[in-house]
Amino acid sequence: MLAHARKLAPRSSCLRLTRSYSVRVKDDSRWPGWDVVVGIEVHAQIKSRLKLFSGLLCIYSFGVEGAWTPDYNLPSNTSVSVFDAAFPGTLPRLNPKCVELGVRTALALEANVQRRSAFDRKHYFYADLPAGYQITQHYAPFATGGRVMLEGDEAFVRIKQIQLEQDTGKSTFDSRRKVSSIDLSRAGAGLMEIVSEPDMRSPEEAGHYVRTLQALLRSVGSSDGNMEQGSLRCDVNVSVNRRSEPAGTRCEIKNLNSVRFMMVAITSEVRRQIDLLESGGTVSQETRGFDEEKAETYSLRSKEDAPDYRYMPDPNLPPLLIEEAYVSQMRTKMPELPDATRARLLGLGLSRRDADVLMDVDSGREVNFDGELAPGPVAYFDQISHGRDPKVVVNWITHELNGQLAFREEPFSKNPITVEQMGGLIDLVQSGKLTGTAGKTLLRYMLDKPSGQTADELARELSLLIEDDDGTALQKWCGEAITALPKQADAVRSGNVNVLNKILGHVMKSSKGRADANAARATLLEMLKKK
Amino acid sequence: MLSQVACVAAQSRHLAGSATFSLSRHLSSTNSIGQVNASVNALIHVASQANESRRSGRGLSDCTVAVKDNICTTDMPTTCSSRMLLDFTSPVDATVVQLLRDEGATLVGKTNCDEFGMGSLNTYSVHGPVVNPFQATNSDVAWENRERRSAGGSSGGSAAAVAAELCDAALATDTGGSIRLPASYCGVVGLKPSYGIISRWGVVSYADSLDCVGVMAKGVRTVKAIFNVLSAYDPKDPTAARVDTRHKAATACQEHGPRHSGRSLSGLRVGIPQEYFPMELNPNTLKPLRRVLEHLRARGASLIPVSLPSTSYALSAYYVISSAEASSNMARYDGIEYGLYKEPPPGSDKTKTANVYAHSRSAGFGKEVQKRILLGTYALSADAFDNYFLQAQRVRNLIRADFDRVFAIPNVLSSTPQNNFGEGVHVLLHPSAIRTAPPLPSLEHDIDSSKSDASILDAYVQDVLTVPASLAGLPAMSVPTGFGEDGWPVGVSIVGQWGCDEMVIDIGRECEQGIIQ
Repeated sequence: MLAHARKLAPRSSCLRLTRSYSVRVKDDSRWPGWDVVVGIEVHAQIKSRLKLFSGLLCIYSFGVEGAWTPDYNLPSNTSVSVFDAAFPGTLPRLNPKCVELGVRTALALEANVQRRSAFDRKHYFYADLPAGYQITQHYAPFATGGRVMLEGDEAFVRIKQIQLEQDTGKSTFDSRRKVSSIDLSRAGAGLMEIVSEPDMRSPEEAGHYVRTLQALLRSVGSSDGNMEQGSLRCDVNVSVNRRSEPAGTRCEIKNLNSVRFMMVAITSEVRRQIDLLESGGTVSQETRGFDEEKAETYSLRSKEDAPDYRYMPDPNLPPLLIEEAYVSQMRTKMPELPDATRARLLGLGLSRRDADVLMDVDSGREVNFDGELAPGPVAYFDQISHGRDPKVVVNWITHELNGQLAFREEPFSKNPITVEQMGGLIDLVQSGKLTGTAGKTLLRYMLDKPSGQTADELARELSLLIEDDDGTALQKWCGEAITALPKQADAVRSGNVNVLNKILGHVMKSSKGRADANAARATLLEMLKKK
Repeated sequence: MLSQVACVAAQSRHLAGSATFSLSRHLSSTNSIGQVNASVNALIHVASQANESRRSGRGLSDCTVAVKDNICTTDMPTTCSSRMLLDFTSPVDATVVQLLRDEGATLVGKTNCDEFGMGSLNTYSVHGPVVNPFQATNSDVAWENRERRSAGGSSGGSAAAVAAELCDAALATDTGGSIRLPASYCGVVGLKPSYGIISRWGVVSYADSLDCVGVMAKGVRTVKAIFNVLSAYDPKDPTAARVDTRHKAATACQEHGPRHSGRSLSGLRVGIPQEYFPMELNPNTLKPLRRVLEHLRARGASLIPVSLPSTSYALSAYYVISSAEASSNMARYDGIEYGLYKEPPPGSDKTKTANVYAHSRSAGFGKEVQKRILLGTYALSADAFDNYFLQAQRVRNLIRADFDRVFAIPNVLSSTPQNNFGEGVHVLLHPSAIRTAPPLPSLEHDIDSSKSDASILDAYVQDVLTVPASLAGLPAMSVPTGFGEDGWPVGVSIVGQWGCDEMVIDIGRECEQGIIQ
């Protein structure tokens, strides 16, 4: 209960790890006079191809070869090895990829990877836990310390520890038939439990923390952090206290699976606790669930009913020893973290808005298995803007390309236009060989008919290039337009210049955008005046 | 090596027939394997002939091997002698089973044992107790009507199958003496290798940090031949000793081992630990041990009294650790994915998962297993953890340190290997058991229900001489050394430093020859 508010002093001092907490907390109009304290345990599924302990050499699986970390689209119980189903005689074997992704995560959270950590068994009987215990890191976690910067809030949340552990299976209860269905596909998948210190002061800050954490995990490829699909789940500890009084008794709200619901749950729990205290009652320490429909929390079990998990060092798993050299090597291979990316983009002269849009599209990119980093829009931007004006490039990517992809309901990963093609297109427009309109036409064509041809070749083929002749083509298009639209031509001749736009549109259309609009306008006026 | 092993198996049959053991007399041609097994109850599943895929020309192609029923086989059930797994056939072959198949061995069946390996008399079995096939030479009743004595446990079926010549060798497991004790009671050789030398993949866990797969046979040479096949690094077993660790141990054994040549044993230093002659030890079993010692001394070995002062705490530490791990390992038997499922009776409280499981677990587990689950659950509970589980781990470290202090060979697993600079002994030698095979309770109900606390403790005391090597993970081999005053077999145990399995086996062979001569 060390920390209450931890608004940052100047950023530089924070980087020297000299934390500065302001004692005064901003009053919240929703609950004046009260302080809210929130700590969060995040369970993030590790995006490893194989599960935490059942991956290696698991040739005896039921449904598929090997015990894959399940794809949520797969039917239930199709990714289960004999180890996951706790068959007698099976033994765990640590998947080194999970360790690698754990180290990346620890580095992203500025946590200290422990040279020695160990695995323990946590015992309880539940239908989705076939072995009767979960392998976790109770006594010696994988990494300790660390923090997450909350961008824009000038605040950070301290990380207490990160531990590696097994996921359980998934049980679904049919209350009508009173039957539980168990899906063991998830059983044994790798999880990172990321435990924060109680450093958050409002539901919004809690939401900000989880979103930031999601982005971090995605950027290092350790988890896709998808709350909807259950690959990221939150347990939230909430307490309230009157300003300047010591921290109150906390309640834990279990299994929140969207940021929005988490914020609603915290808000409702804060109100419940304040109502209790204001009516002279006390908050008792308990574990609570969240009813999404009623938007309120309900008691699951009291502290007295807390199970004794009988933690025992796992006798099958030797301690996990991680050399400093390994961590250093991982450090050199670390992908750029979101904060650094944003700073770099702003440094290139991008507007805050453009940088945010680009990063927003980027954060939606697919997270590949085993930390293989898929190049996203930021990488695409980086390559194209090399030697070009970043502001022009970002405009083409976020507005034109991304707009077209969104229109086609395609993710960015399906973009068929190569860096060279896109760069060529931008060059043609920038050098005046292609009008902006023609550029957009070319872009659409490239999306419609992906090919290996260069932007120049395609533009030539489609006759989109501006004719740099003596203007005969323009004369021809204008003449044709006037012939095609005699009424409008007459109207212009009689002084109604507004109608000129109609004729101009015809010129642009028949020129396929090659005609320079200003030149065409001047030519049309000239031709119509003459008559 | 190929034909050699076949000949070893044949030779051990010959030795058994002619020299020390007199069982063959009773197993005349009038008794079929079925009849013999009906009287011994050693094999609880006999492989069908069709299943035998004998691969001739391989190292073990003339070898018949029985497999303890807690070792997984895809073509035979694996019941662990538990009602819980009575209908269970594993989808995997244990690595040891695979290795035997690859070498062409014929698997003859699965052997009876104490439920999940918990027991010292092989009486806690859903298949009924194993009856020791031995009959003293001075007995004049028909073999079928011989005195009913225990075969020892938990690998009683494996020991008895070997003793009754139902197979050339048997795979067994040893957690606290489960190979050495039945070997001693049945008059066969039993090797518990160093922890981590033989793969445990596919071996049903009782207490993972102690469980070892080992080999039983009539003679040391057969044990050695099979051990050589099985002692391979297996990446599927996370506790398997890595190849470089094995090399380090082999080098240490060579550097610090006895330097004797030819037939002489001069230079071999044999330690006799004083704590291994406790009050409970029946003095009638000492005569055969003395004969072995005399034989070794006559061959030039020095006998050196040593002390392992923490020994007296070993049994309590063993029961805390093994029960704690057992309670954890038994948690998976809930009747959901496999095994016995007992529908909760109508109207029962199903609000908690544990309440639903309780019906299957109460019906599936025998009394001894239930007792150890309760004991272990308590030892791991938040209030007891420090005083029991952690305390037992401290004792375990003291026991290890005791051994490291007396051995001439440094322990390569230790972070600070102790060098005893030419001092210290190469192996330890002590009685395998405190007595010869105890009588079987006359009726089954004696085993479970109406047993006095004293006799339960008696059963635990059987392990007093075997658990220290288990706690320290050391190789230990029991070799028959003759007979006690009651005419029943007595075994001597040879214990070596971690990784010195070969040295233990070789000295076991010396002891065996001392008896044969």
